[in-house]
Amino acid sequence: MRWLIRRVLKQGKGAVSYEEDVHFGDVLSIGRAADQAIFLSDIRAALNHARVTALSPGRYTVESLILAGIRVNGELTYSANVGAGAVVEIASTRIVLLDPPRDFEAAVEISTLDKTEQEAAKARRAKPTSLKETWLGKRAPSWILFLLVLGFGLLLPAATHFVPGLGKLLGHAGLPTTASWNPGPLDAAHRFFGDDCKQCHQTPFLTVRDTACTSCHTQMAAHADPARFNLPQLGEARCGSCHQDHLGLNGMVNTDQKLCANCHTDLKTRTQNASELPDARDFGKTHPEFRVRLPAWDTNGRFAPQLTTLTAGLKENSGLKFNHAKHLEPNLNAPSGRRTLTCASCHQPDAGGLAMKPVDFESMCHDCHTLGFDTFAPDRQVPHAKVAEVVYMLDDYYARRALEGGYTEASAPGFVQQRRRPGEAPLSQQQTIEALSWARDKSRQVADSVFTGRACVTCHTVTRPNAAGSTPGTGWQIAPVRVSGIWYGEAKFTHAKHSTMDCKDCHKAAESKSASDLLIPDIANCRQCHAGANGGSKVASTCVDCHRYHQSKTLTLNKL
Amino acid sequence: MNARHESILNHAGSRWLWISVALCAVSLLAYALHSPAVPPNGGTWLGYTLGTIAGLLILWLMFFGIRKRSYSGTSNLRGWLSAHVYLGTALILIALLHAGFQVGWNLHTFFLVLMLLVIFSGFFGVYCYLRYPTLMTRNRESATRSAMLEEIAELDQNALALADGIDPKVHDIVLRSIQNTRLGGGVLAQLRAHDDSDAALAGIRAALQAREKSQATAGGAKSGQTIFAMVDFLASGTNDRQAEALRKLIDLLSRKKALASRVARDIQYQALMEIWLYFHVPLAFATVAALFAHVVSVFFYW
Repeated sequence: MRWLIRRVLKQGKGAVSYEEDVHFGDVLSIGRAADQAIFLSDIRAALNHARVTALSPGRYTVESLILAGIRVNGELTYSANVGAGAVVEIASTRIVLLDPPRDFEAAVEISTLDKTEQEAAKARRAKPTSLKETWLGKRAPSWILFLLVLGFGLLLPAATHFVPGLGKLLGHAGLPTTASWNPGPLDAAHRFFGDDCKQCHQTPFLTVRDTACTSCHTQMAAHADPARFNLPQLGEARCGSCHQDHLGLNGMVNTDQKLCANCHTDLKTRTQNASELPDARDFGKTHPEFRVRLPAWDTNGRFAPQLTTLTAGLKENSGLKFNHAKHLEPNLNAPSGRRTLTCASCHQPDAGGLAMKPVDFESMCHDCHTLGFDTFAPDRQVPHAKVAEVVYMLDDYYARRALEGGYTEASAPGFVQQRRRPGEAPLSQQQTIEALSWARDKSRQVADSVFTGRACVTCHTVTRPNAAGSTPGTGWQIAPVRVSGIWYGEAKFTHAKHSTMDCKDCHKAAESKSASDLLIPDIANCRQCHAGANGGSKVASTCVDCHRYHQSKTLTLNKL
Repeated sequence: MNARHESILNHAGSRWLWISVALCAVSLLAYALHSPAVPPNGGTWLGYTLGTIAGLLILWLMFFGIRKRSYSGTSNLRGWLSAHVYLGTALILIALLHAGFQVGWNLHTFFLVLMLLVIFSGFFGVYCYLRYPTLMTRNRESATRSAMLEEIAELDQNALALADGIDPKVHDIVLRSIQNTRLGGGVLAQLRAHDDSDAALAGIRAALQAREKSQATAGGAKSGQTIFAMVDFLASGTNDRQAEALRKLIDLLSRKKALASRVARDIQYQALMEIWLYFHVPLAFATVAALFAHVVSVFFYW
């Protein structure tokens, strides 16, 4: 086999010359030993370093004869089948396998790497020695992460606000929507539309408008009339000022007393006298004395309570005569025996626990205060609370007694006193007229005594207008009565919440001898236990514990 | 001049430590005194204030990346880094106070987690900066890495020359040992400080000892295990001159091995000192994006 060995000789300034040589043999041996076909003088070459076998023209097998291997086409190997153009590097020598020219079966070109080429090859083979030289980078990951977070955190969710239906699509795909911006769980009542942020947040970059609230809360009462008061100047009172959502089940009502106090300060000046309300900033420190609804009636007899500031010695007119002290004495002499009354004998809370049930004559007073009118018929009583009925009933009763006979009172005519036996002749027409006339007079006389002496007047104020003249049994009027009811109309007091207290702790009933004594406690009484938000050991009570903000009876928020 | 070494932690009398502690104390005090009617959250006036401080802090911390690259400026970089570290740490508390310690499955908590990842990767960085430079200096023994590499190349040449004088087989082994010396490499290779330079030597040593202990290994070298071949050669009655040269060679290779290990460790220390930055920086940019998304989304749905 004929090998062409071409040596490249560098002659400086880029000029090269070639020196060709012929080698006969099946293999081309390479090494530092003297007998090698290609002799390398470099110490980095082994004596018998490698051999090249020509398989066919242009196909070669390169084999390493030492454990260190050889570098073929830049790769360390022990044995490789390669085509023409392959480069074998040993120490500072480069051997290129060539397509054999005419008359040759194989050909190689040998060149020596100069210093710069060796340096370059070394640098090419050198492994990275710092992280900067590896695939690791900071710029690309930074950009990628920045854009990913911006895209999935902001842009994609924001797009769901503007593109209808996109939110649902992304939600199904598990991609973030505006729901991923939700800073906290919604109030329980708002959860049924909670995945649709736009229900409340209608316009981007604007706070939630009141109209978003009132579109559902249509019946919500307003606080004050903006036509009477310069509300916007007084302070911010958006729905959101007091009602903040995304706080979970804590409730949406902000009970901070400052929210009220900010407006309820110097109202008279700030509203140009439209409001007369005194300052109210803290229940314990700055709060006006209570105003109580004193019972009163207008000229038509309709109940029209008078809002009156509670002062010491203020009297009320309930329309009733009643001595609390007397009724609370032990062992009262009652028809059924000795009885001791308690507050609860007459004052019982209503079902809601807020106020007291009205005092009921039939179940509470009647046991002792019977309404009998005739000693001959101690079981008979006049009806309670029906003035006209009393007279009708007495008329009927005495007419019957007159016609029956046997009514033995001295004032009655003889035939009325006389008991009639069965079979006796009936009264003559004249006698009947006479009997009924007596009955009528008797009935009116008794009526007068019931109203003025015996029954009604014990507890009630009974009057008889001059117009009625002195006709017996006519024209009696009972003053209207209001015993229990709502005393504080502008605040709510719940008896049920104070069940740990005794009645007498607040109501001085045991010392009251007159019904006109006002037994409703004042603010000082409440302040024994209650103070404002920062009241130390006392019960922290803010404005909305007693007052309603949405209090207007005529205006609703959505009509403002 | 203070005799104590000044590090990023005690720069300028720990000035930035005290500034950060003061910032945290003021924030905590405000948080404690603040009693909003709603649970503390980012939407109260204090929440907005702390949020603004935290947001500006993040942007300022990011600015360190720019400051680091500019060599102008009169303030020294160590001061900047000290401030970067301490104010970055203070950011944890300020951000938590801003959020009122509320977390949830949302963008805002994601932002918090990203920020915490950045800060804690920074803590690892501080640990590295305090620990590795000393180790590196001690490891290099006042040589530079290129000097060590040059010395390795020189030792390689000498070893080859020496080996050539002994026997082609030994030359072959040394040649392979040179090729197997891998300094550096991929990320993991750098972090693990693995160089194969000692494989050949350890093989030779072990085989020598084994040979000396028992002469019974009659089978000779198995094919492909030239170390054994070399030891075989050494043991099978070579003359004194060659044995002497061989011991010299082992000495040379030992020195080379020590050097190579030191270079590998140098590379490892440097890689460890740098690797956290490849997390810190990209996560920091993600945090800035999350900051932007957080602020915009909060006011988008005000």
